[in-house]
Amino acid sequence: MTLAFPSALSEPSALSEPFGARAPFATLQGALHEAAPAAPGEEMAALGFALAWGIEKAAAPGARRSALVLAGDGGAFEEVGGLHPEGMGAFGLDLPQALVVRAERREEALWATEQALRVSGAVVICALGASARALDLTASRRLLLAGERGSSTCLLVCAASHAGAPSAAWTRWRVGSAPSFLQSPEAARELGPPAFHARLARNRMGAPGLFLTLEWNAHARAFTIREPAASRRHMVDGAVGGAFGDRSAAPRRGRAS
Amino acid sequence: MATYSKAGNAFVLDQVEAPRGAGLRPGQSLADARAIRPDLCACAAEPSADLALLDAIAAWAERFSPVVVLDPPQGLFVDISGCGHLFGGEGQLLRAAVEGLKRQGVRVRAAAAATPGAAWALARFRGPSLIDAGGLAEALAPLPTAGLRLEPQAQALLARLGLVTIGQLYAVPRAALAARAGVGAVTRLDQALGRTREALSPRRPPPALFAARRFLEPVWAHEGVARAIDDLCADLAHALNQRGAGTLRARLRLFGLGARERAIEIGTSRPEANAKALARLFAERLNAASGAAPIGLEDDGFDDPDLGFEAMRLDALEIEPLREKPRRLSGLGDAGAGAGGGEGAGEEISALIDVLSARMGRGRVLRPCVRAARLPEAQGFRPAITPRSKNPYSENSKSGCLSAPDGVLRRPLSLFPRPQPIEVMAALPDGPPLRFRWRRVLREVARAEGPERLLAPWLASPAARPRDYYRIEDQAGRRYWVFRSGLYEEGPPGWFVHGLFP
Repeated sequence: MTLAFPSALSEPSALSEPFGARAPFATLQGALHEAAPAAPGEEMAALGFALAWGIEKAAAPGARRSALVLAGDGGAFEEVGGLHPEGMGAFGLDLPQALVVRAERREEALWATEQALRVSGAVVICALGASARALDLTASRRLLLAGERGSSTCLLVCAASHAGAPSAAWTRWRVGSAPSFLQSPEAARELGPPAFHARLARNRMGAPGLFLTLEWNAHARAFTIREPAASRRHMVDGAVGGAFGDRSAAPRRGRAS
Repeated sequence: MATYSKAGNAFVLDQVEAPRGAGLRPGQSLADARAIRPDLCACAAEPSADLALLDAIAAWAERFSPVVVLDPPQGLFVDISGCGHLFGGEGQLLRAAVEGLKRQGVRVRAAAAATPGAAWALARFRGPSLIDAGGLAEALAPLPTAGLRLEPQAQALLARLGLVTIGQLYAVPRAALAARAGVGAVTRLDQALGRTREALSPRRPPPALFAARRFLEPVWAHEGVARAIDDLCADLAHALNQRGAGTLRARLRLFGLGARERAIEIGTSRPEANAKALARLFAERLNAASGAAPIGLEDDGFDDPDLGFEAMRLDALEIEPLREKPRRLSGLGDAGAGAGGGEGAGEEISALIDVLSARMGRGRVLRPCVRAARLPEAQGFRPAITPRSKNPYSENSKSGCLSAPDGVLRRPLSLFPRPQPIEVMAALPDGPPLRFRWRRVLREVARAEGPERLLAPWLASPAARPRDYYRIEDQAGRRYWVFRSGLYEEGPPGWFVHGLFP
């Protein structure tokens, strides 16, 4: 099995060594990516992962100072309550840069996302709540095209139940929370930085199956990969780490239309 | 038919509608009037209802001009300066106003003149007429002095002196008139003749700029309205450009054939003087409001499709000077703009905010707003378009990054609008939980940090219980912000999940 997304990296040096300590989310190719909770109850992890990704993307060196838009429909934050501005700031978000759009219906949220994607360089996180119908391919394709046209990036956060539906996203991640990794005895009861298990469920540029344990450094606005060796071990045999409750969905191997 | 009101101990007629010879007049007592005409139909006056009706008529009259002044109990001034051409002349405007009101069952007397005072007198004592500045003195001369809106004492004095018509006052020396009838009388005369200005306070503050269109045929199709909006926006943009200003708030008013009217308001995050941008904002509002239905017919109870809109007016309610920025002539440097960003991005973002706010409503397009507040629920969002005067956070929201240098999240990313009660088992009565049940799932606590005690401002809510917050991680790595409400000594504490960390 090949390493996960070498072609996705803009730096050629990364071909030989896919990840150092830093995860390449900010430079990942493609205008539409998708994050879904690995299991019901992990909505916060998926949202936090997407937000961290967006923050890293917006703060990346060379990125244009543009908008970071969080658009959600009525059900998007049902599971987790509402966004808390102070917590968003603590998470590393540049608050004056942020715009929050609270749509009522999903169509409205998608429309707002599409509008926001016209702003060049914008990072738009579109959170969609669970509904009877998963997002169809046309809708995600529209977002992809809007992002490509505006040279902006859309991160779609969808409900766990819709994670298997067809989508035009370049990568699709199933995200769960990971336990803190502070091992020293004096820190045994302390919470570490936010940590995620992220499994690459679909990858337009290569093989899926990559499994990462990420830590988010809110101050440096960067992901770090924890225990890369362990992650690779998971990845090599294509198996998913034991941390997920939901192991039913096999990695999708079909290429996007 | 008459209305009466109570004056002292007697009921007195105040409005009478009867043939001239009937012997009824305002000021008569109701008992006398009933004696003269036993068949008199009299009802108690309702000044507040009258005023409401007058206000409704004034609202209707705003289709002729944005400046409408209430003159209770029965009068209405409409400042039609510069509005006549929309109706094919001021005479046509007057006719349209009279006919429109008559159609609605209102008895109306109207006149147009160069001054409000003259129009007042002409409407009451002469009937429909159109008098320009040159003809004022001549037109007013035969009218009774009651047309000058004088104080009752001055009015009585003039009658005693035998000065019956306004024309007779022209010859009276000003000093003598002022000494006997008061300065007010001279002022009124001057105002009627246009020698001094008269200040009237309009029913609504007049817009800084406006553009108006009147249609030969009523318009109600969506496309027609959209076309008209394009034209209006072009007119308004032209007027704005002449002033070097942009509009922050604009209201489109659609005047229906009947008394129906609709207003659509848009706001922008920075002064806007571009016709296309303005038209787009209105188009978004219309699309959002009406969907497929013809606009204006869905929510105001009128379902007669024959009624359309006969006039539209676009008011710029707030304008602000545009600060022109030097534009980059070449494309050079765009690529290298880098993290510094460019004006272009800022403009794109404010355009985005305008479009989203216009379509979805201002309350749905928000910016996070962090204030110095003790309790987490005091933090919130504010509309991205906030009028400058009403924005108390403009200086606070400047602070950008709130992340702690150690990267520790001390506040959750999400907050439940209402803290959710949980069942908790704690090792120590004032310690963090060992395990807790939330959403019917038992969660084992792996790590916990705290407590952090937060108190409500004691002055605002003296009875509020202190809360001890813990940041908790369960075995699966999920993190919660839980709190214990109240002190242990005060009785069994309540535990709640208030937010979630990623």
